[in-house]
Amino acid sequence: MSENNIKMNGNGTHKSAGTPKIGFYVCHCGHNIASQVDVEDVQKFAAGLPGVTISRDYKYMCSDPGQELIQKDIKELGLNRIVVASCSPLLHEHTFRKAAEKAGLNPYFFHMVNIRENVSWVHDNRESATKKAKDLTRAAIQRVFFHKPLEKKSVPINPDVLIVGGGIAGITAALTIANAGKHVYLVEREPTIGGHMAMFDKTFPTLDCAACILTPKMSSVKAHPNITLWTYSEVEKVEGFVGNYKVQVKRKPRYVIEELCVGCMECIDACIYKEAKYPDEFNQKLSKRKPIYIPFPQATPQVVLFDPETCIDFKSHRCKKTCIESCDRKAIDLKQVPEYKDINVGTVILSTGFKTYNAELSPQYGYGKYPNVYTSLEIERLVNASGPTSGEIVTRDGIKPKSVGIIHCVGSRDQKAHKWCSKVCCMYSLKLAHLIKEHTDAEVYNFYIDMRTPGKGYEEFYDKLMTEGVHFVRGRVAEVSDWALVPEEENKLTIRVEDTMVGMVRRIPVDMVVLAVGLEPREDAGDMRRLFNISCSNEGWFLERHPKLAPVNTFTDGIFIAGACQGPKDIPDSVAQAGAAAAEVLSLISAGSIELEPNTAFITEDNCSGCKSCIPICPYTAISYNEGTKKAYINEALCKGCGTCVAACPSGSITQNLFDDEEIFSEIDGLLKFAGIELEETEAEHA
Amino acid sequence: MERSIYAESFALDVTAKDRLDTRRKIKYESELDKTFSNRIAESAHGEQLFGCIQCGTCSAACPVSHYMDYTPRKIIQMVREGFKEEVLKSSTVWLCASCYACTVECPKGIKITDVMYALKREAISGNYYPKNAPASILANNFFKQVLNNGRNSEGPLLMKMYLKTNPFMLLKNMMLGIKLFTRGRISMKTEKIRDKKALKKLLNSVESKKKILSAGKPADVKEAAV
Repeated sequence: MSENNIKMNGNGTHKSAGTPKIGFYVCHCGHNIASQVDVEDVQKFAAGLPGVTISRDYKYMCSDPGQELIQKDIKELGLNRIVVASCSPLLHEHTFRKAAEKAGLNPYFFHMVNIRENVSWVHDNRESATKKAKDLTRAAIQRVFFHKPLEKKSVPINPDVLIVGGGIAGITAALTIANAGKHVYLVEREPTIGGHMAMFDKTFPTLDCAACILTPKMSSVKAHPNITLWTYSEVEKVEGFVGNYKVQVKRKPRYVIEELCVGCMECIDACIYKEAKYPDEFNQKLSKRKPIYIPFPQATPQVVLFDPETCIDFKSHRCKKTCIESCDRKAIDLKQVPEYKDINVGTVILSTGFKTYNAELSPQYGYGKYPNVYTSLEIERLVNASGPTSGEIVTRDGIKPKSVGIIHCVGSRDQKAHKWCSKVCCMYSLKLAHLIKEHTDAEVYNFYIDMRTPGKGYEEFYDKLMTEGVHFVRGRVAEVSDWALVPEEENKLTIRVEDTMVGMVRRIPVDMVVLAVGLEPREDAGDMRRLFNISCSNEGWFLERHPKLAPVNTFTDGIFIAGACQGPKDIPDSVAQAGAAAAEVLSLISAGSIELEPNTAFITEDNCSGCKSCIPICPYTAISYNEGTKKAYINEALCKGCGTCVAACPSGSITQNLFDDEEIFSEIDGLLKFAGIELEETEAEHA
Repeated sequence: MERSIYAESFALDVTAKDRLDTRRKIKYESELDKTFSNRIAESAHGEQLFGCIQCGTCSAACPVSHYMDYTPRKIIQMVREGFKEEVLKSSTVWLCASCYACTVECPKGIKITDVMYALKREAISGNYYPKNAPASILANNFFKQVLNNGRNSEGPLLMKMYLKTNPFMLLKNMMLGIKLFTRGRISMKTEKIRDKKALKKLLNSVESKKKILSAGKPADVKEAAV
């Protein structure tokens, strides 16, 4: 990999030599620490420890005067080690390292003790809390003796971006980045971009037409000079690290040359099959298509494709190939093979979206058993003007329904299916209720557990629906059945539910049942996770680095997530997240390079036996095996400093910066002194 | 509503006190009145009725809800879903003291007290109301008095109510009555307005307007249910 991309920062010499002169600072953090810990006592205690030149306490160490205090002491007293006892390093380690660096000290001569989250916030006895703070302080002061100056590495960022998934999130991110003048590779698995949004008729709560707002974006993706659009393609291989990813993309054969096809669809008319007879996936199998087809009228790119599973020529090689004859542009090539494209990108955005819950797994609702039980996605296609019925809502018997029941939370908020709330179902059910009422004037019933409509204009939409005469029955439906108990239930589907607001069980006969199916991770989310070396939550959604403060970052630098692959999300949220991911990518590209933390592991080659035991356990695939030297090699750009390999190495040949043996053992020694335990001389000095 | 053999087999009508009440309580759609909610909403000038989010503020604000068989919140949902029989037979409507606490507190601006009035009218016209309950007797006599005389006379109204409900209560409250009478706070005289004919005319014209308005409306339950 690109070792030579890594260059050293700074000049390499530091005033670290000589005896350690430690500056110790303990922070009151207002009352956060001072209320439970006697900070003056800790300050006096530290002053008496060996190596401590100055010990101070201050109300807010993180404030400007607090930082200036440290800098002044470094300059005037010649301090060469700094220990601050305050809050979590997650919050202010960076602040104090910067402060030390400003005063001319290598920032890694700084160490932080957490006496807030680990002491004052979790203890209620002031005396023992103070004692614990002292022990932690002693441990840190003993540790910092052995600190060494470390250098940050910096790697350049390739400005090209890969976006996986061409739904509304991927499209938004691609356009934002491309408009900033950076090159984007947009890879989509399906033959067209647009994702789920392309299937919808209207969008809540404004009821604007989904196609009208989406298709302009789709065509600008196609036309954009900075976007390379690869539909019907999948990412095969990913190697490298932030700024320098090598990606292989497989372009599946469409059997149509994309550059030549203009989407005239002559070939579809000419197909030997006069009638469409295969289920159309885009229309949720509610209509039929031919073996050669285009998913929907505004598909982007406007290119037909073959389904080799159903085309006669692929099965028997005995077709008359009327399609080929009909194509003036000679765009059909039945001998096409998969094409592999290798690209180099610096950053990746994953926007692979979601799939809907399989309603057959909730058999009480009769999906797959009763023809007039539909999923919400099927109804989306039915109400859509470009759908299988040109926008007519009819049951499978072709009759306009007089009553429709919409069952919320199918597959959501259910320990047997998914525990989570899918967030969008309440709103899309309200939207479908409105559209069904508008198209058919049927009695529409919503069966819900809780109505969850947080969002701008969402509650107002719910309010509007209630006054439109849609019924709202609070209660989870127990079953849908065709078993009639009274004459008016004959030839109908009867919904059995407790109206919990009235406190009575009701049987409601309807002509059509709509199941508001929840959202779940795609079945191959696990493969994607491994491919891009990111994490998934227990539920299978891609895991963000921080649920609040880093919602589009992952634990792998340079890989970002956007849209419903991270968790159930509606269109506005997906678009907002795509914008955030694009901004993160652009900020990396603008910086031109990224600094890597130096707390990485390295191998002392002389000691390495080449046993390879470290290679499979590295969660960041940072370790490789050099066949030439028969030694393991750690890529510092990929290493996150987790220490797993250090602990696993049988020959002790892996060391981690900032966590080497003498640092850790002296820290433990300092910590255990309270019990009168002293580590053995030999162990403490180890080395 | 005619019940079929299907339903009969499920309806075990056991009412004896020492036995479990195993009557069928499930509600079939055909037992509901689909036009009920609109009727009530119209006469209680409130399509807001349909905007009810079932928060229960009305029931919590109501000073007499703990005596009611259905709380005001439940009444609103039952009206909305067409549970006509249960609503009109309920005690809630007659226990409502018209204090308007629910209407003041309702976050959706539903005029709940007015809904209760509309339900009282429905109950009386549909002959559902509890004829011997003091509330309905009082309401009935109050209405009759105003209709005949154009004015309410408290003394005779109270006398009538006590005689029709519980004459012993009259004896119990006699001393209070005498006190009020001697201080001129209550009179046994029946008050009248001067021009009773004009009132009749006015009320008749309202009645005829009502009839014209309700003429072209599908009030038939069966028709709507089909």
